[in-house]
Amino acid sequence: MTGPTSTTLSVHDWKRTVVPLGVFAVLAFAVPVALSGNRYLAFVAGITLIHILWASGMNLLYGYTGLMPLMFAGIAGISAYFAVDLTSSGWSFWIALPLGALMASVAGTILGLPSLRLKGFYFTLCSLVIQTVITLGFVYFAGLTNGDTGISQIPLPTAPGGGTISPAVFDLILATAAVIGVVVLIAITRSSLGKRLVAIREDDELAEMLGINVTRYKMTAFFIGSLFAGVGGALYAPYIGFISPRSFDVLISMNIWLMVAFGGRGTIWGPVVGAVILVPLSFLLQEYYTVKDVIYGLLIIAVIVLMPGGIASGLKRTARPIEAAAPGMAERRGAK
Amino acid sequence: MSNANWILFLSTLSTGLILGSIFSLVAAGVTIVYGSIWMPNAANGQFFLLAALFGWTLTVSWGIHPAIAAILVIGISVPLSYALEILLIRRFYDVPNRNISYFVLSLGITQILAGIFSLTYGQWSDQFQLPPLVSGITFIGPFPIANNRLAVLGLAVAILAGLFLLLRYHRYGRALRAVFQNRDAAALRGVNVKASYSLSFALGNAVIFAGGILFALAYSFDLTVAWTMAITAFAIMIIGGPGSVLGALVVGMVFGFTQAIVSVVASPTIAAFSYLGAMLVILLFKPSGLFAK
Repeated sequence: MTGPTSTTLSVHDWKRTVVPLGVFAVLAFAVPVALSGNRYLAFVAGITLIHILWASGMNLLYGYTGLMPLMFAGIAGISAYFAVDLTSSGWSFWIALPLGALMASVAGTILGLPSLRLKGFYFTLCSLVIQTVITLGFVYFAGLTNGDTGISQIPLPTAPGGGTISPAVFDLILATAAVIGVVVLIAITRSSLGKRLVAIREDDELAEMLGINVTRYKMTAFFIGSLFAGVGGALYAPYIGFISPRSFDVLISMNIWLMVAFGGRGTIWGPVVGAVILVPLSFLLQEYYTVKDVIYGLLIIAVIVLMPGGIASGLKRTARPIEAAAPGMAERRGAK
Repeated sequence: MSNANWILFLSTLSTGLILGSIFSLVAAGVTIVYGSIWMPNAANGQFFLLAALFGWTLTVSWGIHPAIAAILVIGISVPLSYALEILLIRRFYDVPNRNISYFVLSLGITQILAGIFSLTYGQWSDQFQLPPLVSGITFIGPFPIANNRLAVLGLAVAILAGLFLLLRYHRYGRALRAVFQNRDAAALRGVNVKASYSLSFALGNAVIFAGGILFALAYSFDLTVAWTMAITAFAIMIIGGPGSVLGALVVGMVFGFTQAIVSVVASPTIAAFSYLGAMLVILLFKPSGLFAK
């Protein structure tokens, strides 16, 4: 490989980042347009785009910061319910979307606070408890969420100036969100923030000793990661037209985690590929959709046992550091 | 006390005792496995449900007597555990920080079993009820209680007592506790660490299966019981102290009574909120639990 270079955009970067990003951006917009003749296929593409955004956010937390937040779907749900409630009480969706995402970010940052004390398994367990509490909350506060029944017939938003947005146009909005998400993730990983997050992932005590403010950077990671969750959640609700506590439960968190781990944690494109493979899979199975749970479960075990680096580590053999052992190995010890 | 209050009191007491002893059994199974091989088994709820569903198939579909079915179900858990141990669990024994790998692994198992259950049993019935172990009703004062539930309670307490004595006094139990406290020292003193690991995994799962079949004999159940049980058992383990069987017994009983009392005065959701809240507080401020040595 090329050695360290002084130019900001070396040939190496060009090959690794710019070209894939261009290909991805073109595909993100072209695929929904190409499939627009068949609404169902275009819909599958749209859902995949939302999951690409989610997987990128999960990747920031799990892949780059070394935290496994199983409350990720719950945070997306907070944004989705918030945005739907605001929209139905007369607010414009284009104001509700950023407010919902911000709400998710604040909630995610607060709910991420236990990560300062707990590491590895203990944080993951804690986040599982938080996810369960959020799901119970969605069921319990039926005034805002309509309980177990869920909220149905959520309309697609209207354009800012008035006029309707067709599903095909909304697909392009989703593509924009997914591309922006990936670009932001690339920007973070290339910045000093990204380097510090990786340092925290590898050994947070050492990072602290080197003068990295671990508290601040973990909270920053949660803020940004939850922003991804929140934007995805707020876009998901009107696109599907129906949300319920089941739409944002622990299984969804696990599925998003699996896209990251299966694709390759800590790489930009691994989780994107993971989402592109795994999301359409559940639609292919149609009425046997519970088979999806079995397949996802088998993949979780396969990732843990056979390919801790995900498919990305099998495809490329470069000097890029990828954990040689099981996920979570970067966390040096549990909260003892 | 008036008759009505007596009945309410005794029914809460009996429900608390039965639920508490079943919670204790499952939590003890989870904590034995975590204490020895460091595996936080999130699939415990699915194992619990698997035992209950096996029991349902054996008794309702095949017409086997519930007592024999219960023994068969607990027996089945042993080869299943060893197969799982050889296939998946064994390869992580020497990995440091294996608890997170195990945790994710058990979440994968949870998802597989949940998918299989909803494809099979979920299509066959919504609610599952097993025939009673013994028939008839006993009156304690004015309060009628089914002999079946008394038998379940007796069996659960007997299994708990047996488990406690085994761990306290038997060679195997001492070896298991030695491995838990210091694996290397135990190995130096001649304990076969790997064998003790696989035995603990089988023992822990057998206890979870016992909890599942006893619960199925006492109450009707549906597929959602798995997730509730998984979270409850984890909460009991964390609060009681991971690896502490005594903690699992005491906190399990407390949870059983809490559930029984809360379901009289408020909704089960409140009970779930209180478990999870207690678990969060313990996780954040005393992760070693209340009964840690």
